[in-house]
Amino acid sequence: MFLFRGGGVGSRAASLRAVRAFYRSFAKQNDPETRAFRLLREWLSPEQRAQFDAEDHFEVIGSHTGRRYRIHRGTVSNVLELDEEGQPKFGWCFLPESALAAGDVMLAQKIALETDEAAVLAIANRVSTRPPSRPRVVRRAY
Amino acid sequence: MATQIVMDRTGDSRLFFEQDDRKQLAEAEERFKKLTGQGFTAATRTAAGDLNVVRTFDPTVEETLFYPRLVGG
Repeated sequence: MFLFRGGGVGSRAASLRAVRAFYRSFAKQNDPETRAFRLLREWLSPEQRAQFDAEDHFEVIGSHTGRRYRIHRGTVSNVLELDEEGQPKFGWCFLPESALAAGDVMLAQKIALETDEAAVLAIANRVSTRPPSRPRVVRRAY
Repeated sequence: MATQIVMDRTGDSRLFFEQDDRKQLAEAEERFKKLTGQGFTAATRTAAGDLNVVRTFDPTVEETLFYPRLVGG
Protein backbone atom coordinates (compact mmCIF):
# COMPACT_ATOMS: atom_id res chain seq x y z
CA MET A 1 0.00 0.00 0.00
CA PHE A 2 1.29 3.44 -0.94
CA LEU A 3 0.76 4.72 2.60
CA PHE A 4 3.32 2.29 4.03
CA ARG A 5 5.86 2.27 1.18
CA GLY A 6 9.47 3.25 1.72
CA GLY A 7 9.51 3.61 5.48
CA GLY A 8 10.62 1.66 8.46
CA VAL A 9 8.61 0.44 11.41
CA GLY A 10 8.49 3.92 12.95
CA SER A 11 7.13 5.50 9.80
CA ARG A 12 4.53 2.72 9.44
CA ALA A 13 3.38 3.28 13.04
CA ALA A 14 3.09 7.00 12.39
CA SER A 15 0.98 6.31 9.31
CA LEU A 16 -1.31 4.01 11.28
CA ARG A 17 -1.69 6.66 13.98
CA ALA A 18 -2.61 9.22 11.31
CA VAL A 19 -5.21 6.88 9.81
CA ARG A 20 -6.67 6.19 13.25
CA ALA A 21 -6.81 9.91 14.07
CA PHE A 22 -8.52 10.61 10.75
CA TYR A 23 -11.06 7.85 11.36
CA ARG A 24 -11.81 9.10 14.90
CA SER A 25 -12.24 12.65 13.64
CA PHE A 26 -14.56 11.48 10.83
CA ALA A 27 -16.61 9.38 13.24
CA LYS A 28 -16.89 12.29 15.70
CA GLN A 29 -18.08 14.67 12.98
CA ASN A 30 -20.77 12.22 11.93
CA ASP A 31 -22.11 10.85 15.20
CA PRO A 32 -25.86 11.43 15.84
CA GLU A 33 -25.30 14.18 18.45
CA THR A 34 -23.01 16.19 16.18
CA ARG A 35 -25.24 15.74 13.13
CA ALA A 36 -28.33 16.77 15.11
CA PHE A 37 -26.68 19.94 16.45
CA ARG A 38 -25.49 20.76 12.93
CA LEU A 39 -29.08 20.46 11.66
CA LEU A 40 -30.38 22.54 14.57
CA ARG A 41 -27.88 25.32 13.83
CA GLU A 42 -28.94 25.31 10.15
CA TRP A 43 -32.57 25.92 11.16
CA LEU A 44 -32.03 28.50 13.91
CA SER A 45 -32.44 32.17 13.05
CA PRO A 46 -29.19 34.17 13.14
CA GLU A 47 -30.20 35.66 16.53
CA GLN A 48 -31.05 32.25 17.98
CA ARG A 49 -27.78 30.80 16.66
CA ALA A 50 -25.76 33.58 18.27
CA GLN A 51 -27.62 33.14 21.57
CA PHE A 52 -27.15 29.36 21.47
CA ASP A 53 -23.42 29.71 20.78
CA ALA A 54 -22.99 32.20 23.62
CA GLU A 55 -25.36 30.80 26.26
CA ASP A 56 -26.08 27.17 25.30
CA HIS A 57 -29.81 27.92 24.98
CA PHE A 58 -32.03 29.98 22.68
CA GLU A 59 -35.41 31.68 22.88
CA VAL A 60 -38.47 31.28 20.69
CA ILE A 61 -41.78 33.17 20.49
CA GLY A 62 -44.99 31.15 20.78
CA SER A 63 -47.09 31.35 17.61
CA HIS A 64 -50.43 31.94 19.36
CA THR A 65 -49.73 33.88 22.56
CA GLY A 66 -46.47 35.64 21.73
CA ARG A 67 -45.00 34.27 24.98
CA ARG A 68 -41.27 33.66 25.16
CA TYR A 69 -39.79 30.24 25.76
CA ARG A 70 -36.20 29.29 26.40
CA ILE A 71 -35.01 25.97 25.00
CA HIS A 72 -32.02 24.56 26.84
CA ARG A 73 -29.64 21.90 25.59
CA GLY A 74 -31.23 18.59 26.52
CA THR A 75 -34.15 16.32 25.78
CA VAL A 76 -36.38 16.30 28.88
CA SER A 77 -37.98 19.22 30.77
CA ASN A 78 -35.63 21.56 28.88
CA VAL A 79 -38.23 24.16 27.78
CA LEU A 80 -38.88 27.08 30.12
CA GLU A 81 -41.67 29.61 29.72
CA LEU A 82 -40.43 33.10 30.60
CA ASP A 83 -42.28 36.00 32.23
CA GLU A 84 -42.13 39.64 31.13
CA GLU A 85 -38.79 40.09 32.92
CA GLY A 86 -37.31 37.08 31.18
CA GLN A 87 -37.40 34.97 34.33
CA PRO A 88 -38.55 31.34 34.17
CA LYS A 89 -42.21 30.91 35.19
CA PHE A 90 -42.45 27.19 34.71
CA GLY A 91 -41.14 24.42 32.53
CA TRP A 92 -42.79 22.38 29.80
CA CYS A 93 -41.97 18.80 28.95
CA PHE A 94 -42.67 17.48 25.46
CA LEU A 95 -40.48 15.60 23.01
CA PRO A 96 -40.62 13.42 19.89
CA GLU A 97 -41.95 9.93 20.55
CA SER A 98 -38.84 8.30 18.99
CA ALA A 99 -35.49 8.46 20.75
CA LEU A 100 -33.53 11.26 19.06
CA ALA A 101 -30.34 13.18 19.73
CA ALA A 102 -30.66 16.40 21.75
CA GLY A 103 -30.24 18.72 18.77
CA ASP A 104 -33.12 17.04 16.94
CA VAL A 105 -35.36 17.20 20.03
CA MET A 106 -34.60 20.91 20.48
CA LEU A 107 -35.32 21.64 16.81
CA ALA A 108 -38.67 19.81 16.94
CA GLN A 109 -39.56 21.79 20.11
CA LYS A 110 -38.63 25.08 18.41
CA ILE A 111 -40.69 24.37 15.28
CA ALA A 112 -43.70 23.22 17.32
CA LEU A 113 -43.73 26.34 19.52
CA GLU A 114 -43.17 28.72 16.60
CA THR A 115 -45.84 27.18 14.37
CA ASP A 116 -48.47 25.51 16.57
CA GLU A 117 -47.97 26.58 20.18
CA ALA A 118 -51.52 25.79 21.34
CA ALA A 119 -51.42 22.22 20.04
CA VAL A 120 -48.05 21.43 21.58
CA LEU A 121 -48.93 22.91 24.98
CA ALA A 122 -52.11 20.81 24.94
CA ILE A 123 -50.02 17.63 24.97
CA ALA A 124 -47.07 18.96 27.04
CA ASN A 125 -46.72 18.48 30.78
CA ARG A 126 -46.04 21.49 32.97
CA VAL A 127 -43.11 21.06 35.33
CA SER A 128 -41.48 23.07 38.09
CA THR A 129 -38.55 25.31 37.25
CA ARG A 130 -36.91 24.49 40.56
CA PRO A 131 -33.89 22.22 40.33
CA PRO A 132 -34.66 18.66 41.37
CA SER A 133 -34.25 18.18 45.10
CA ARG A 134 -31.44 16.00 46.35
CA PRO A 135 -32.49 12.61 47.65
CA ARG A 136 -32.83 12.68 51.40
CA VAL A 137 -30.36 10.68 53.40
CA VAL A 138 -32.23 7.89 55.07
CA ARG A 139 -30.58 6.61 58.20
CA ARG A 140 -31.06 2.97 58.64
CA ALA A 141 -31.90 1.80 62.12
CA TYR A 142 -29.87 -1.17 63.22
CA MET B 1 -32.11 19.61 -6.24
CA ALA B 2 -34.67 19.38 -3.42
CA THR B 3 -34.18 17.63 -0.09
CA GLN B 4 -36.37 15.77 2.37
CA ILE B 5 -34.69 15.58 5.79
CA VAL B 6 -36.02 12.97 8.18
CA MET B 7 -34.96 13.01 11.84
CA ASP B 8 -33.90 9.58 13.04
CA ARG B 9 -31.53 7.86 15.48
CA THR B 10 -28.54 8.63 13.25
CA GLY B 11 -29.28 12.37 13.51
CA ASP B 12 -31.07 12.64 10.19
CA SER B 13 -31.41 10.99 6.81
CA ARG B 14 -31.44 13.13 3.67
CA LEU B 15 -33.28 12.16 0.51
CA PHE B 16 -32.52 14.18 -2.59
CA PHE B 17 -34.66 14.48 -5.71
CA GLU B 18 -34.82 16.50 -8.90
CA GLN B 19 -37.95 18.64 -8.99
CA ASP B 20 -38.19 18.46 -12.79
CA ASP B 21 -38.02 14.64 -12.84
CA ARG B 22 -41.58 13.30 -12.72
CA LYS B 23 -40.58 9.87 -11.39
CA GLN B 24 -38.44 11.30 -8.56
CA LEU B 25 -41.16 13.84 -7.76
CA ALA B 26 -43.78 11.09 -7.50
CA GLU B 27 -41.47 9.14 -5.16
CA ALA B 28 -40.94 12.24 -3.02
CA GLU B 29 -44.69 12.81 -2.81
CA GLU B 30 -45.22 9.18 -1.86
CA ARG B 31 -42.56 9.51 0.86
CA PHE B 32 -44.24 12.70 2.13
CA LYS B 33 -47.61 10.92 2.41
CA LYS B 34 -46.05 7.87 4.08
CA LEU B 35 -44.17 9.89 6.70
CA THR B 36 -47.04 12.25 7.55
CA GLY B 37 -49.33 9.19 7.67
CA GLN B 38 -46.98 7.71 10.29
CA GLY B 39 -47.37 10.84 12.43
CA PHE B 40 -44.34 12.84 11.30
CA THR B 41 -44.75 16.61 11.05
CA ALA B 42 -43.46 18.22 7.85
CA ALA B 43 -41.92 21.68 8.21
CA THR B 44 -40.51 24.07 5.64
CA ARG B 45 -38.83 27.45 5.91
CA THR B 46 -38.80 30.49 3.68
CA ALA B 47 -35.67 32.27 2.52
CA ALA B 48 -36.31 34.81 5.30
CA GLY B 49 -36.26 31.96 7.83
CA ASP B 50 -40.00 31.82 8.62
CA LEU B 51 -41.16 28.32 9.50
CA ASN B 52 -44.31 26.64 8.23
CA VAL B 53 -45.90 23.31 8.96
CA VAL B 54 -47.26 21.80 5.76
CA ARG B 55 -49.98 19.16 5.43
CA THR B 56 -49.75 18.52 1.70
CA PHE B 57 -46.82 17.92 -0.64
CA ASP B 58 -45.63 21.02 -2.49
CA PRO B 59 -43.37 20.14 -5.46
CA THR B 60 -41.81 23.61 -5.47
CA VAL B 61 -40.42 23.41 -1.92
CA GLU B 62 -36.64 23.02 -1.83
CA GLU B 63 -36.29 21.61 1.69
CA THR B 64 -38.74 19.77 3.94
CA LEU B 65 -37.91 18.58 7.45
CA PHE B 66 -39.82 15.73 9.06
CA TYR B 67 -39.87 15.12 12.81
CA PRO B 68 -41.71 12.41 14.74
CA ARG B 69 -44.99 13.01 16.58
CA LEU B 70 -44.55 14.98 19.82
CA VAL B 71 -45.72 13.58 23.14
CA GLY B 72 -45.83 14.92 26.69
CA GLY B 73 -42.78 13.96 28.70
